[in-house]
Amino acid sequence: MSLQAWVRRTRTPEPAAVEREIAVIEPADLFDFEAQDDPDASPVLCCTGDGAGAAAFGVLWLKRIAGSGRYAAAVSVRGQGNTPAAPGGVEAYVHDVVQAAIAIPRRAVLVGHGRGAAWTALAAARYPADALVLVAPQKLPKSLPKPVGDPRVLLVVSESEAQSKQTQAVTDAYGVAPLTFPGASEDVFKGPGAEGLLDAILSWLNRKD
Amino acid sequence: MQEYSSQAAYDRGEAVCVIGAGASGLIAVKNLRENGFEVDCYERDTVLGGLWNPQNQHSPLYPNTHLVTSRSQTEIPDYPMPDHWPDYPSAARMLEYLKGYAAHFGLAEHIWYGSEISHIEPVEGSRFEVVVKPAAGSAARRLRYGAVIVATGHHWVPNLPSYPGQDLFRGTVLHSSQLKDGSRLRGKSVLVVGGGNSGIDIACEAAVNADRCVHSVRRGYWYLPKYLGGEPADYALARLHNRPRWIRSLLTNRILKGHRHLSARMGMEAPDHSHTDEEPIRNGRYLEHVGDGSIEHRPEIAHFEGGEVAFADGETVRPDVVVFATGYKPKIGCVPAGLLGVDGESEYPKLLARMFSPRVETLAVAGLIEPGVGVLPIVHWQTHAISHWLNIRKGDPERAANFRQQVVSESAQYEVDSTGISPRHRLAVDAEEYLAGLVRIIDTLEQEPAK
Repeated sequence: MSLQAWVRRTRTPEPAAVEREIAVIEPADLFDFEAQDDPDASPVLCCTGDGAGAAAFGVLWLKRIAGSGRYAAAVSVRGQGNTPAAPGGVEAYVHDVVQAAIAIPRRAVLVGHGRGAAWTALAAARYPADALVLVAPQKLPKSLPKPVGDPRVLLVVSESEAQSKQTQAVTDAYGVAPLTFPGASEDVFKGPGAEGLLDAILSWLNRKD
Repeated sequence: MQEYSSQAAYDRGEAVCVIGAGASGLIAVKNLRENGFEVDCYERDTVLGGLWNPQNQHSPLYPNTHLVTSRSQTEIPDYPMPDHWPDYPSAARMLEYLKGYAAHFGLAEHIWYGSEISHIEPVEGSRFEVVVKPAAGSAARRLRYGAVIVATGHHWVPNLPSYPGQDLFRGTVLHSSQLKDGSRLRGKSVLVVGGGNSGIDIACEAAVNADRCVHSVRRGYWYLPKYLGGEPADYALARLHNRPRWIRSLLTNRILKGHRHLSARMGMEAPDHSHTDEEPIRNGRYLEHVGDGSIEHRPEIAHFEGGEVAFADGETVRPDVVVFATGYKPKIGCVPAGLLGVDGESEYPKLLARMFSPRVETLAVAGLIEPGVGVLPIVHWQTHAISHWLNIRKGDPERAANFRQQVVSESAQYEVDSTGISPRHRLAVDAEEYLAGLVRIIDTLEQEPAK
């Protein structure tokens, strides 16, 4: 975030505060002897454009992320899941993601899915995420803002999207190569490939480089 | 870290030494870490949070200290405060916020508590030797760093006036930082001295607790409420900057007119400066307390006489407690005065762009400034610039030299000319101009090097 962008923001009204639904699973919550708990691994905050909000991650994602030793959280932005609707549009969704991120005890990885990927990309320009993961992004802003704090970025797209213009634009903006998965955008939450995809993301997060 | 003998300085290579773990120090550590620097932060007390921590034995907090700038204008740009917090959080919330910031970014592991820096001196050109004051029974430690950022703040050395006859006064005389507990005012006749935000807040505290409250100020101030036009006052005024200049001044005048008129009607001196030149008073209760007579507004003290205090207008009062809310003197004891540009007649540092030492390129000061707006974001951008600067200095000496020249020319622009008679406001800058200067500095630093 540039100084100018910050000045602009301090001079525009803050979106109305809402009570956000945040689902959290910590490794200790799993009651699983096998599960490792890695207190040094950064927490993960997920967000989707799907109307179910945090609930979309509940079945598979949060448990599996927590199972890998990370604090796993998902937020419903205003109008999703159990978070009440409130005006404000994209700017307010980004505000919700940033507010959810600072409520996490440590610097978090931001994972965005679908339209949620656009919100997390914008949130990463305001909050120094530990890493930024964009899964099957939709409706990304035309010019992607530079993330603050220089996080690692991972772009995950379906095979059919791998050659699309948008994918090209994102890979150019962040200088990363996309990770592809078979199937459609919704398949990341269920379906045969979902677990494998999530494990690929987690192993990218664990990579030290 | 192991024990070091007092003879050999332990070399920390390119690591940066940050002095102070208050708000400014924490922000400095975080931004330096983000730019890839090793950091050692030294804190003389045993807790973080600096002036916001009541456990800090030098804490200047007074009863019911709250922010005077609103949340959205005060929060650190990349770590906002929770949006369900009130517009003007209390000191306790500020401490919670700073602790959260330190935990979130893992800053605590870089802080050495109970370690006061006794002095620093430049060695080997641009490096620094830092001497850590020995704890009881052990030898002083000496370490070498690539750079030093001083973030000790300026709310530690009370500025105490002395009036004729004051030493013979038999009542209690306190500085605002010694008050701690509002119950000390209960049922007493209280004289509060000083027209800054602390003086006004303490006068309001005394207005409801004390038997009688007399408030002495020596000059005119801007008395603004915390809300204007249905919004936090600083936000309402800052927002006008989006408009063209003439509309802005028209609207600003319209917003401020009523309050100026009211304070004039209550017999207060008109301010001799514009409301952006120095911190305005932000307290909506003050004028109401003056209006209902629970605060008696008086001019400057002329002299003390026995148990009585006489004011410039000839009135007298017989107070039980005198509270001097007369602010603080900036004092950076561990740095040789010359390095901060302190010259003979003034004890105030003269820094380049209000942050860089005029002598040594690798010495900077964060947060030694009174911008009249929230200081945390200013410190964020200062330390952002400082860490970028240190990076460039390492990698590209030619760009560094050009940058240095720019900073020298920038620094001439922030002088506020109408600081009037109050030497205390030597740290004041016009936030608008200072931020514009920071934008230019950061733009230069972030530009891709010309190939």
